[in-house]
Amino acid sequence: MQSQYSGTIILTENLGKSVKTSSGTLHILLEIDLQIYVGESIAIVGESGSGKSTLISLLAGLDTPTTGSIMLAGKSLTKMDEDGRAAIRNQYIGFVFQSFQLLQGLTALENVMLPLELRNDKNARNAATALLERVGLSERLTHTPKQLSGGEQQRVALARAFVTKPAILFADEPTGNLDSKTGATIVDLLFELNTENRTTLILVTHDQSLAMRCQRTIKLSAGKFA
Amino acid sequence: MKPLTLVVRMLWRDTRSGELTILVLALLIAVTSSTAITLFSNRMERTMTEQTAEFLAADLVITSHAPVPDTWLEKAGQFGLAQSQTAEFSSVLIEHDEMLLAGVKAASTHYPLRGYLKTTTSDYSAEAIEHQGPESGKAWVEKRVLTALKLNLGDVVTVGEKKLTVTKIMTYEPDKQGDIYSFSPRLMMNKQDLQETGIVQPGSHVHYFYQFSGEPSQLSEFKSWVKPQLNLAQRIMDIHEDRPELGSALNRAERYLGLSSILVIIISGVAIAMATRRYTERHLDATAILRCLGSKQSDVLWLFVSQFVILGLVVSALGCLLGWFGQEMLFRLLKDLLPQTVAKPSLLAVFLGLISGMIVLLGFALPPLLRLKDVSPSRVLRRDLEPLPTSAWLVYGLSAGLVTVLIWRYTQDLTMTATIFCFGLIALLFLGFLVYLLLMLARRFLPAMGLNWRFGLQGLLKNSRATISQILAFTITLVAMALSFTVRNDLIENWHKQLPDHAANHFALNIFAEQLPKLQKDFTEQGIEGSQFYPVVRGRLTEINGVPVQKVVSKDSQGESATHRELSLTSTENLPEENKITAGTWWSPGQKNGVSVEQKLAESLRINLGDNLLFVVGGQPLTATVNSIRALHWETMKPNFYMIFSPGTLESYPKTFLTSFYLPDNKKTALNKLVKNYPAMTILEVGLLLKQFKTIITQLTEAINYLLYFALMAGFTVLFAAIYSTLDNRLYESAILRTLGANRSLLRRTHIIEFTLIGLISGVLAVILSETLLFALYAKAIQIDYRPTWYLWAALPIIGAFAVGSAGYWGVRRVAKTPPLTVLRNL
Ligand SMILES: Nc1ncnc2c1ncn2[C@@H]1O[C@H](COP(=O)(O)OP(=O)(O)O)[C@@H](O)[C@H]1O
Ligand SMILES: [Mg+2]
Repeated sequence: MQSQYSGTIILTENLGKSVKTSSGTLHILLEIDLQIYVGESIAIVGESGSGKSTLISLLAGLDTPTTGSIMLAGKSLTKMDEDGRAAIRNQYIGFVFQSFQLLQGLTALENVMLPLELRNDKNARNAATALLERVGLSERLTHTPKQLSGGEQQRVALARAFVTKPAILFADEPTGNLDSKTGATIVDLLFELNTENRTTLILVTHDQSLAMRCQRTIKLSAGKFA
Repeated sequence: MKPLTLVVRMLWRDTRSGELTILVLALLIAVTSSTAITLFSNRMERTMTEQTAEFLAADLVITSHAPVPDTWLEKAGQFGLAQSQTAEFSSVLIEHDEMLLAGVKAASTHYPLRGYLKTTTSDYSAEAIEHQGPESGKAWVEKRVLTALKLNLGDVVTVGEKKLTVTKIMTYEPDKQGDIYSFSPRLMMNKQDLQETGIVQPGSHVHYFYQFSGEPSQLSEFKSWVKPQLNLAQRIMDIHEDRPELGSALNRAERYLGLSSILVIIISGVAIAMATRRYTERHLDATAILRCLGSKQSDVLWLFVSQFVILGLVVSALGCLLGWFGQEMLFRLLKDLLPQTVAKPSLLAVFLGLISGMIVLLGFALPPLLRLKDVSPSRVLRRDLEPLPTSAWLVYGLSAGLVTVLIWRYTQDLTMTATIFCFGLIALLFLGFLVYLLLMLARRFLPAMGLNWRFGLQGLLKNSRATISQILAFTITLVAMALSFTVRNDLIENWHKQLPDHAANHFALNIFAEQLPKLQKDFTEQGIEGSQFYPVVRGRLTEINGVPVQKVVSKDSQGESATHRELSLTSTENLPEENKITAGTWWSPGQKNGVSVEQKLAESLRINLGDNLLFVVGGQPLTATVNSIRALHWETMKPNFYMIFSPGTLESYPKTFLTSFYLPDNKKTALNKLVKNYPAMTILEVGLLLKQFKTIITQLTEAINYLLYFALMAGFTVLFAAIYSTLDNRLYESAILRTLGANRSLLRRTHIIEFTLIGLISGVLAVILSETLLFALYAKAIQIDYRPTWYLWAALPIIGAFAVGSAGYWGVRRVAKTPPLTVLRNL
């Protein structure tokens, strides 16, 4: 099914984002032309404040650009409304965040079931259970985030991201809140799942060794490709 | 480290950023409404008291069979009370060979202290209001006196040995003493002439009345000073105790006003507590940073508490101002209904509003606020580190204590307060447990539900503790509003039932047995509708089970005043309308010497079923056995009797008959005919009393309507405080959901389902709770017959579901629009 998009899954043209502030217009991103191929793994690196998070939020349709266009899986994200983009996210995209972003009131299992439930998938429970077993949390299904350690929470988040078998996975500094040892196991897990699911991976990181594990590295500096 | 500038700066920033809006709004409504209610009911009460005082022509009256010591009057002068005196006696007037037993009142200069007299010099159409009685040497009389004695205005009438010129016809006298069946035609003279009549001698039957008026505090001081010095034959009357029909209307109204003001405070308190909880949660981070930077727990506490104190003072002051304007507007609106002079608002009430504002704020806001003290500095490192909740006992103890004090102030009854408190606590715990069970049950069915329902329900289940407390908060609010509404309706309905449009406005007394058939025929011919004709025998209760009554009664009780004078005894075959047997049974056929006693009198004299009562009627003994105890509505202007005997029991005693009837204004001429045909009969107009009573009730009704709006407004702040208190969490969660691909309509639908469910459950619980409370309240506090308010059973859940559902939808509508981006930016 991936061949449908002739190898390209994300294509941006002249992508830019600026915001108006009290001291004039601030250009966060400028003239980004980017082509990402199916199954690629890409690391986005750069100093803090260089625009990494902004870039992936645009690519994932969490925010709208000021200029330029984004094609994702052959569809123009920039021409859709918010609910249209929500449908795209649910269908093609998985997320992992630095601060996990699990729903506090729900159990690990319920958190992982969530994206499937949004699709009205009848098999949600089984699929979620299976994936939690895969990330080594079969004993923690009914625990809430508060009862889990940071590393465990991030594993739940990984399970939640992969449970829909997304075409693209975005990860914004996924190890930023973890110690290096736990971070390393999470990264291993991330790449394992990525290979198993043949997912396109777009990873924001500070960690040079982590960036090295990706096929390609893009460096951002002050909102532009360096 | 206690810089006030930091306190003010933080407060100012939070206020401007809208952080405190709900809190300020809730407090403002609490203070505004409680000030307005306090001011309004205080003014209304004093206005009504002044109006009611007309019935005594004073605020306080001492009655005595002999002149009281001069030191009493001097003391009253020292307390700053205004005074007047009257002496009343019966005297036979003889002119033109006609004899008439008249009731004479000799009045001093300042009489009447309250109210006024009305006189005319020709006919009833041109009445003049008088604020003083006749001057020395002159007399004012009722028209009946002139007719009976064949006198004209300007003629001389002799009272005892004193000759007086009749100058005016008296048409209205505020304080007719004694019970209304014993009225004889009236004559009023000046007290200076009393000595010269020669009537006042040792042993003569002169009643002395000492009237006083002034500030309530001075009156009550004087009352407590003089009370221990009264002898057995002296009594104190004040407006709250004397006229039972007005007193009880007043009492109930006061109780309702008090109840409303407590309810508004409780509702607003709930809102304040919820708003403060949100405030606390939003300040956890800042507090942790302050702690990291070296603030001690006490510094943190001081920082936030002093912000709240400043905020409380400013908002309470504003609320007092608004409350003042609110009640001023109310009085403007009611201007036509109120008497010309309305009591001034009291500054003390405004001050009380300020104080109660602070108490409400601190009572309800302090418990959640205190949590900030316990924030651990390490929260800076781990955001999810929540402070331990402040000891639950402290949290709920403080607000519960406040509510208890309010209830205690209202009921003035410690056992009752304790009962209400325990009941409330048990009820809340029970209902909370019920909701918990319900939620657990719902959890089991979750997997089988559709997406929207599952998500909506999950919203409730996610934080079941918060859900339970939210549902209970809505329940309390709905209960408070339902109480306010139902009590108001029932109170008003009850009043109107007692005073139908065609309530009897005349009494006819002293009807002789032989006149009865003819009079009844005349009534039917003229289309006059009246009550049945009651035989009346005058008699005195002297012994209960062989014990003299004087030994049984406590001083100043209702029983005492009833044993001091002759009672009107009657006998009927059937239980009169609006009388209700509360113990025993009505007559079995042919029963002799049974008596049915009015409930309150029976309580006061400790009369029980089966007791033997001894009466003295015209010097002859009459014994009867108590067969039943009766409750009756004194408010109805119908013939009411303390003692009703079984048929035939009074056969052998001299008796007259009495009835009451309604006569519209345009048929007043029929009275003339009646008076001419039955000269011995006394016709008493109670229309005036009735009208006054109706005016008072209309005033109360209006006031009560406005009070309801305050409760409603307070209810809305609770709604929004509750919804906003969950807003932050919702924004965050919906951002995550949207990132995972949820669309807006799904979020909206789940919100509607969630809030509607909360409202629905609260409504159902509110029905249970409010019906129970209404039952208790009616039985204990307001004394209205309880009956289930069926419409509430349907209305509360529907209103709850609709109001909470739509307010929730509206309140969080921006949640559905949160850009999912915020998840990346970590809010
Ligand atoms: N809505 C906004 N308003 C103003 N400045 C913004 C906004 N969003 C991002 N920025 C700024 O844009 C720059 C890039 O932000 P971000 O993409 O988060 O950087 P990174 O993830 O690389 O650290 C930062 O300097 C940030 O402050
Ligand atoms: Mg970033």
